[in-house]
Amino acid sequence: MIKAEGLIKRYGAKTAVNDISFTVKPGMVTGFLGPNGAGKSTTMRMIVGLDRPTSGSVTVNGKPYADHKAPLREVGALLDAKAIHTGRSAYNHLLAMGATHGIGKSRVTEVIGLTGLDSVAGKRVGGFSLGMGQRLGIAAALLGDPATLILDEPVNGLDPEGVMWVRQLARHLAGEGRTIFLSSHLMSEMALTADHLIVLGRGRIIADAPVAEILAANTRTAVKLRSPYAPQLAQLLQAADVTITSTEPDALTVTGLTAPAIGDLAARNGIALHELTPVGASLEEAYMDLTQDDVEYHAGGATPVATPAPATITEEVAR
Amino acid sequence: MTATTAPSTSRSAAGSHLTGLGIVNSEWIKLRTVRSTVWSYALIVLASLGMAVLMAGTIDFGGAEVPADQRNSVILQASTFGIYFGQLIVAVLGVLVISGEYSTGMIRSTLTAVPKRIPALAAKALVLFLTTLVVGLVSVFGSLAIALPLLGRSGIEPDFSDGSLLRDVALSAVYLALVAVFALGVGTILRSAAGGIAAALGVILLLPTIFQLIASLTQAEWAANVMPYLLSNAGTGIFTPSFDGSGLEQWQNLLVVLAWVAVSLIGGALLLKRRDA
Repeated sequence: MIKAEGLIKRYGAKTAVNDISFTVKPGMVTGFLGPNGAGKSTTMRMIVGLDRPTSGSVTVNGKPYADHKAPLREVGALLDAKAIHTGRSAYNHLLAMGATHGIGKSRVTEVIGLTGLDSVAGKRVGGFSLGMGQRLGIAAALLGDPATLILDEPVNGLDPEGVMWVRQLARHLAGEGRTIFLSSHLMSEMALTADHLIVLGRGRIIADAPVAEILAANTRTAVKLRSPYAPQLAQLLQAADVTITSTEPDALTVTGLTAPAIGDLAARNGIALHELTPVGASLEEAYMDLTQDDVEYHAGGATPVATPAPATITEEVAR
Repeated sequence: MTATTAPSTSRSAAGSHLTGLGIVNSEWIKLRTVRSTVWSYALIVLASLGMAVLMAGTIDFGGAEVPADQRNSVILQASTFGIYFGQLIVAVLGVLVISGEYSTGMIRSTLTAVPKRIPALAAKALVLFLTTLVVGLVSVFGSLAIALPLLGRSGIEPDFSDGSLLRDVALSAVYLALVAVFALGVGTILRSAAGGIAAALGVILLLPTIFQLIASLTQAEWAANVMPYLLSNAGTGIFTPSFDGSGLEQWQNLLVVLAWVAVSLIGGALLLKRRDA
């Protein structure tokens, strides 16, 4: 259980985290989602006491992290895959970390096995790939067999198999009743792994709700149709809250109406339909909608990325 | 790499918690598992022995008899000559022990494991002090063992009767270990290898030269008065008693060096506690 109250972090004139309060509950995977620079890493660093909050407080299982008798058994944190001395072997790194808590060789060997690092454990970390560094970071986080796991962008640099492994690991550990808090800037990743989402944008919490709820509230299902009488049908579908876009003469994409409603309407008017496909709006778009006003670094100039652009809507693929 | 099944509650991690001894053990593992440490210490021993050979083997009094009361002093010099070089190596090592953690990001792992922070620095200082002390003792007593037979050919025999020779040789290793801890503090304050090494070597090498220059150019008495309190001057004074009885006593020199170490280490500790990592 992680509990943050009124957390604020300023670096000079810049406010990285702006008065956020949230609770991360045990027994589920909580995703921490936000664009780059939203304040996710800063928040996670404050949880384990690496950064001092400008104001506010954060506790882990009722106490500030530093006040625990066995911090590594309380919280395992992967904050930065590069938080490892490059001149030391993976094995010795874990041995030194564990030694602080009296965690010995057997557990070190155990987490090396768990993270699949057996073959490289004796090699110096400087030669590790991003993915191996990430696995070693996860191994270090697991050392104390912690009740709470904080993983900052854990799938960064991992191959598909590694991504799957992290996903299963997070779900498994949550199933054991542990608190799992992991950050990502990829909505699709979160939707697959997390039960609950805390969405951060420019240092403020935009959403804090179960994944399904966030998706439902922020996705509008579109329907793609083909008909030789597309223009006539478009006329009939016109209504408030209905958006119709057309990329080809005989194709329409309609949002705001369900597929059955469109099908019935076409039948009543004797219009033949060659295709009628509900298209699940992409998670990424839901996320863009959520964060578009809060993205710190827009690509290409100051215009928001997600201005309604008819041509892009048809590109969506059902997930 | 196979997608392994996740761990169930591990028995090997259960019951363990943060202890002072554990932190010291962790710092000992860290110190000995980085190549630069091993190389630096090996270099100190080799350089020290080499210099003892050079000095004891080439010393020439032109056939004149060395007065009995100066024989121990010659032996001491030959045995501890390596310290002048060794202090530069341990200054670099002391800075690297902490700056290496900052440059690689390791410091975040260290401070996550020891969130109170000060115990981690204290353990680092203790481990660095003890290891350097042992290496220093091996160096100077090894040098003594090499120097004695070589000097014996020139008729310079040691006088162990009052124990001062062995004590002074041992004290030179204490100074070496204190320099390492001083540099650790400097490295903690500056957090970078380049800045830390420059500052630590500057204090050891440059400060005496600067004050010497000021004193000789301006005849400023204050500059001359400051000289004995500089780290390397006081450090040399710990194990080399002054001939004429002027200057500070050995124990006073030790206190001066301890003050340098305390200022640097406490300064580093305060900043470590306060800053974001």
